[in-house]
Amino acid sequence: MKAVADHGHGRVHGARWSNALFIAPFLAVYLALLVAPLVRGMWTSLQDLDMLSQTSEFVGLKNFADLWGDEIFMGSVRNTFCFVLMSTPVFVVLGLALALALNRPGRTGAVLRAIFFGSSVLSVTIVTLVWKLVLMPHHGLLANLANAAGLPGFSPLTSEAWALPTIAAVTVWWIIGLPMMLFLAALQQVPGEVYEAAALDNSSRWRTLVHITLPAIRRTVVLVAVIEVILQFQVFGQAQLLTQGGPNNSSRPVVQFIYESGFTHWTLGNAAAASQVLLGIMLVAMALQMWVSGRKEAF
Amino acid sequence: MKMTSHLAAIGLLACAAGSALAQARTEITLARFFGSCEADYGKSIDVKAARGECGIITTLVNKFNATNKDNIVVKPQIVEWGPYYDQLTARIVARDVPTIAVMHESSLGDFVHRKLIEPMDDSFKSVGIDTAQFSDQARAGTSFSGKTYALPFDTHAWLWHFNLNLMKKAGLTKPDGSPVIPGSPEELFAQARQFKQATGKPYFAWQTVNSSASYMRTFLTLLYQQNGAKLFTDGAKPRIDMKSPQATKALKLMNQIYSEGLVMTGLDYGPSNQAFVNGEVGVVVVGTWKIDDFVAQAEKADTPLAKGYAVYPFPQLFDQKAVCADGHSWVMLKGGAKDEASRKAALAFLKFIWDNDVEWARTGHLPISKLTLSSPGFKALPMRSNIAEISASGRGIPLSIPRQRAIQIAVDQEIGNMLTSKKSLKDMQNAAETRVNKLLDSVR
Repeated sequence: MKAVADHGHGRVHGARWSNALFIAPFLAVYLALLVAPLVRGMWTSLQDLDMLSQTSEFVGLKNFADLWGDEIFMGSVRNTFCFVLMSTPVFVVLGLALALALNRPGRTGAVLRAIFFGSSVLSVTIVTLVWKLVLMPHHGLLANLANAAGLPGFSPLTSEAWALPTIAAVTVWWIIGLPMMLFLAALQQVPGEVYEAAALDNSSRWRTLVHITLPAIRRTVVLVAVIEVILQFQVFGQAQLLTQGGPNNSSRPVVQFIYESGFTHWTLGNAAAASQVLLGIMLVAMALQMWVSGRKEAF
Repeated sequence: MKMTSHLAAIGLLACAAGSALAQARTEITLARFFGSCEADYGKSIDVKAARGECGIITTLVNKFNATNKDNIVVKPQIVEWGPYYDQLTARIVARDVPTIAVMHESSLGDFVHRKLIEPMDDSFKSVGIDTAQFSDQARAGTSFSGKTYALPFDTHAWLWHFNLNLMKKAGLTKPDGSPVIPGSPEELFAQARQFKQATGKPYFAWQTVNSSASYMRTFLTLLYQQNGAKLFTDGAKPRIDMKSPQATKALKLMNQIYSEGLVMTGLDYGPSNQAFVNGEVGVVVVGTWKIDDFVAQAEKADTPLAKGYAVYPFPQLFDQKAVCADGHSWVMLKGGAKDEASRKAALAFLKFIWDNDVEWARTGHLPISKLTLSSPGFKALPMRSNIAEISASGRGIPLSIPRQRAIQIAVDQEIGNMLTSKKSLKDMQNAAETRVNKLLDSVR
């Protein structure tokens, strides 16, 4: 009897260990490609590391102190926050509006959905090239339209006030397709009977939206907001290719600062420290967002 | 049976020969900027028919691949100039080093001091490249402590390219058809205003958007034209001085030119040159590398530039002749040649480039061989006599100053901030000094 019990006990243990094998490949890749570089990045941020010669010296928190006193970096943090605040609400509101408008059967809806999603498949290089042609001073589409309307020429990418909002607008044009699709998927999960009941009660469209649709897709709203905050904090390509961070540092995001610090200035420790700051900011922003959405749920 | 064995023997022989040929083939990589023009010159080996930087370097490589007797194949790896050094850095760190790479002479020092390039004197001698024939400027640009680290490719400088048709309309040409060139800031403003009044167009175009070098080149030119000008302090820890009277004078002049509306605004590199070709400005301020492209435009009938193009060094506006100059060179970075065969192949290609110095000079750049400089072939090229003085008046940042590319970008951006974003002169000077000195401090 005892032998049987021992045997059974051993089998339970054996089964547990073999279960671990199923997640081992994922765990190995996760550790190698995410956790290890993260830890190495943290260690690098404490070094004065020359990218080109790979020589280094431990400097503690000096890189972080340098960043605190660096006007270009502080400007890039400010720009990144502004960019996220400008773009994320638009992604949520416009994405939802498009999804509501296009959540219908038929060919027209399908064609429009494809058109709005179409730009998402383009690379950042193509997108910025297209918009450069549109926004080109003197001969671009915008300049030609302004000329035709008898208005003075306007070059938003060379204006300190307009460069960052323009990059945000280009970004929304580029990847509005993903939030739209996520909202569409969510809308199609809402049971039709609920809408039928609302229609029988003579509920207005607005009441239906506020009291049925939005509560039903609340989790998707949070998902889209979280995804967009993560993505938009990492904005880089559009700014690098459209304005190179200018004019007067008005559109340089943190990732561009990291790129320049590492690859152009060869100060990899400084770049790694800026990366840690960005990671910290993103974690705080995410935590705040989750906390706010959690509180709403409690109500 | 006998016939069958003969056939088998022939087959084996053919296979062996093919295999030997395949083994002897040596592929090397060539990292460069200068643009990509495969559609026009992808298969051409007619170097004489090629135009512009891209056309000439592309056909030179094609010709070498087609004509060398050692079964060497050079594979170009073309990158845009802007991110070229960033990519090269990443490739060095990732140990994916090209066999040969183009490099500005102003950037060489950073790679030499990190021991990423080794002296090449003996290697050059082994293939017949005579370093004694390097021009003085090329020698100074590629030598450190008396040793040669790169094969110079050209000397390039900052020029004024004139649309003579518009200059004539503005009454700014001499009886011989050459342009009236200002000799002082006062003359510059008088002529630029006269031009604008007569043609309704701005006098200048230069890159004012996304610039990483053009402001700096104009600034250095105006600075070096003044007696006693010095941008960096001496010593082991150099510091930039953007507030010297000479630097301030140069910056104020640039600011006044821009704020008076004498420059076409909002243009980045391509559009600024296109504005010149389209006849929208009188002068474009850009380097030697555009000469052949503009000459080609001027040869076409019915274009705004038709039979109306001339080029001169940036005019002397202050005490002495000086113009910002640099040079392209070819380097063999450590780890680029994987074996002795690759190394020999790379040297064979460099010898070919050296022998074809005069072809590259057709772009507009000055040649780096004394022999070419005095050759009838070079002297016969259009307008080269106008710019020959560059070999004496060309100046760059001293080679002893590290991180020149990054410094150039930082100062350039700050000058741009002053001109286009109305940052005050004082704030701009402070910001440029802070950024550059931080860079200099980071040098280990």
